[in-house]
Amino acid sequence: MKANWIASIIGMTAFAACTLATPALANPQPVELIGDVKVEKVVVENGKETRSWIKPQVVVPGDRLTFSTQYRNTGANKIDNFVVTNPIPTGVMLAPDGAATLDVSVDGGKTWGKLGALQVADGKGGQRAALHADVTHVRWTLPVLNPGTTGALTYNAIVR
Amino acid sequence: MTQGHITIVRLTSAVTAGLTLAVVPQAAQAAGVLAGTLIENTASATYSSGAASGSVSSNTVTVKVDELLDVAVAGLTTTPVTAGSTSVVLEYSITNTGNGGEAFNVTVDPAVAGNGFDAVIQTIAYDSNGNGNYDAGVDTVITNGGATSSLAADASLKVFVIVTLPAGATDGQSSQVRLTADAVTGTGTPGTVFTGQGEGGGDAVVGASGASDNATDQMIASLATVALAKSATVLDPFGGSQPVPGAVITYTLVATVSGTGQADDLHVTDVIPAGTTYQLSSLKLDGAGLTDAADADAGVAGASGIDVNLGTVAGGTTKTVKFDVKIN
Repeated sequence: MKANWIASIIGMTAFAACTLATPALANPQPVELIGDVKVEKVVVENGKETRSWIKPQVVVPGDRLTFSTQYRNTGANKIDNFVVTNPIPTGVMLAPDGAATLDVSVDGGKTWGKLGALQVADGKGGQRAALHADVTHVRWTLPVLNPGTTGALTYNAIVR
Repeated sequence: MTQGHITIVRLTSAVTAGLTLAVVPQAAQAAGVLAGTLIENTASATYSSGAASGSVSSNTVTVKVDELLDVAVAGLTTTPVTAGSTSVVLEYSITNTGNGGEAFNVTVDPAVAGNGFDAVIQTIAYDSNGNGNYDAGVDTVITNGGATSSLAADASLKVFVIVTLPAGATDGQSSQVRLTADAVTGTGTPGTVFTGQGEGGGDAVVGASGASDNATDQMIASLATVALAKSATVLDPFGGSQPVPGAVITYTLVATVSGTGQADDLHVTDVIPAGTTYQLSSLKLDGAGLTDAADADAGVAGASGIDVNLGTVAGGTTKTVKFDVKIN
């Protein structure tokens, strides 16, 4: 059996940050966000490739990661205009597969759109079509979040 | 209590880092992010609820990048090196295509399948002064199988292999010399993990190259062979060709140098046969007279014999030496 995977995770304590963002505990956030990451593990056995997603132990350049953010309306009221923004971390780039359908920014979150409609400087004084590796942020917009509603937002990335 | 404190500190700094770094354009690196880099992901959300609005951040998930062991070796000798009687330098480059500092064990194998001859390795050295040229006595010499200095991620190092032709090589034969570089931490199937041996205290993982690569340089033997043919003509005092006393024998020595190389320090020598006397000033090289004395010209001649110093003669050249003796 050949394990093509790779990986080390540290300090991945799932810890909702709402206590930091809100000074008064008496007024808790009605929404929680929980981030997670998985690494793709490819196992080739008898010439057959099996892919699974595991908690990373070792990651090296070229590995595929899936970052996910779970959201939940923990309050009693409906929430509107729920916009989740996720900067692409340094050291990874957005994976090409699925990048076209995401709402992304290639300029640090100033402007947004589908990847196919965005342009970046080509380094020669002109502009070129933006690529998945140019993406700096991804964003999801949920118009309405009813009480108790939960879900997960994910994007795939490749370690540079 | 301590655990909780650490968690909060990490969370605070990580959130800040995530927000700050996001606006910095990320330069793509050939060898990937450096070993020890932390990949930190944080999402944040804004929302409204009735008349109020708010924002919330997720926890930060952090992944540490481990050391990828990868290497690329290239032979820098694009046209085969011509090897004659002196040693030649073969050049290779080793590039650390991994993402952490790594030294590489260098193995040179002159026995490559299809070789006309297997070169003799004299010295293996790496370009420790970084000037791109082999400097005998300056560049660091390593044993076959020995390690280079540590190469930073993306860095390249030139390695010189000084070789000579083996005794049996013949003109025009070609040969390849293979240089293999193996990561000192270890090699193996891609994905092999060396726990705790990566740069920055993490693991080291074998990359697509298997942490080993090799390349060959080619050399061609350029040698010369020398053939010497001696002939004689006799002129007797009566106009005939009888070897009688008083007849003059003209000896002709033809040195033919063949091959693509050159013959160095080539001398044509002969002794004066017993019963004959060297005829003064009869020594000629390619039809031109040479003085008998040891002087600026190539020839020396006397009662004991003749010696013509042809020096370095390229392949494809013929030199003709003549001298006369008289039968006593």
